[in-house]
Amino acid sequence: MVSHEGILSAVYATLADIPDPELPCSIVDLGLVEAVDLDAACNVNITLLPTFTGCPALDMIADDVTRLVGALDMVESCTVQWVFAPPWTTDRITDNGRKSLRAHGVTVPEHGPMQPAGDGTTPLRTSAIPCPWCGSANTRLESPFGPTRCRTIQYCDDCQNTFEDMKRLSEE
Amino acid sequence: MTTMQNMLKNPDANLVLALADDLLMLGHVQGDWTGLGPILEEDIASSSMAQDDLSHALVLYEHLGAHFGIDADVIAYERDIADYRCCDLVTLPDEFDWAVAFVRRWVISHWAAPVLDRLTKSDDQDLAERCLRLRAEQSLHLTYLDDWMHRLGSGPDEGRTRIQTALDTIAEHAGMVMEVPDRDLADIEAFCCGREELFNEWTTAMNVVLEHAGFTMTFPLPALDAFGGRRGTHAPHFHEQHAEMTEVRCADPGATW
Repeated sequence: MVSHEGILSAVYATLADIPDPELPCSIVDLGLVEAVDLDAACNVNITLLPTFTGCPALDMIADDVTRLVGALDMVESCTVQWVFAPPWTTDRITDNGRKSLRAHGVTVPEHGPMQPAGDGTTPLRTSAIPCPWCGSANTRLESPFGPTRCRTIQYCDDCQNTFEDMKRLSEE
Repeated sequence: MTTMQNMLKNPDANLVLALADDLLMLGHVQGDWTGLGPILEEDIASSSMAQDDLSHALVLYEHLGAHFGIDADVIAYERDIADYRCCDLVTLPDEFDWAVAFVRRWVISHWAAPVLDRLTKSDDQDLAERCLRLRAEQSLHLTYLDDWMHRLGSGPDEGRTRIQTALDTIAEHAGMVMEVPDRDLADIEAFCCGREELFNEWTTAMNVVLEHAGFTMTFPLPALDAFGGRRGTHAPHFHEQHAEMTEVRCADPGATW
């Protein structure tokens, strides 16, 4: 007989190994996992937060979670629920996640309160972001829309490489 | 009454539908530009925003679907033509003139922002949470689009002329955004908020950008009983776009992939 805590820790360990299909980062490090609920009959319900609502990876992530967690011996069934509150932000990305993203040329805005958007718009970060390849601050926004919904494309004028930056969304 | 009619008779649902249908059709129409953007970055941006719009429409349809007991895809694809609440500005043909497509999107994005702001204050917590998320994502569109307007305004004459011409074209149709969407509840409550207040907030925000960029656009608030797309009397170009959008669904109902 496995304890409640034992099952939960197995579920979390499984989740920590599930990568985001489009980023070099697990869904746990990306901050997508909001809650794991386990009932007495060992049914698991996992609450996830979407990064961007239009992200085509969401269905793949939900499929991976239900399949892999559902396959655990002591789990009877696994369901996934996407919720919008609290809203996902880049602040949810763990230090481990940031490190992994950075190693692959993806920068993440620093933790901290969002710059107030007085005119109702969220400024895209256009100030110099330190280049993840060479550290130079001589960088600029190349394209505010990137390979996925959640990233912009930046360019470093010193090492002449592109890199990507996770978009920061406003919070209230 | 069917569940669909329950939804269509509900004043709150009509405002949500107006916004969701605008985004659905705009996302569909804007998809025509994929691969054809004037520069690579704009091509990516235009396609990304179209993708966002479709997903934002889905998020709103899912909310209505859960509330009224209707599948979100049925709401999106299987309503009668007269039950689509989008204004016909969103399907206005752009003839592949990027200036027209750009201004059309810019005007709709500026309208979506104050509408979403109002919906984030809804008593319906699920709707409020969804709209808070959509508002943040639409803000990224607005920032991008306003930036283009400023860049074009400070650019050479050809671009300035083409954008001002497009603004003049869109101004002839922009009022229809404010058509009251419900056929039977044609009073101020049908829009869930003060109509003049919304109109002023929307046009003021656009005028701030236009003034800075050196462009102009003026159009009046249409009469309360103005009748058009939002009340189901759609222009031929809506019918064409709707037929194209629903082609697969009609050919193979229930298809999945």
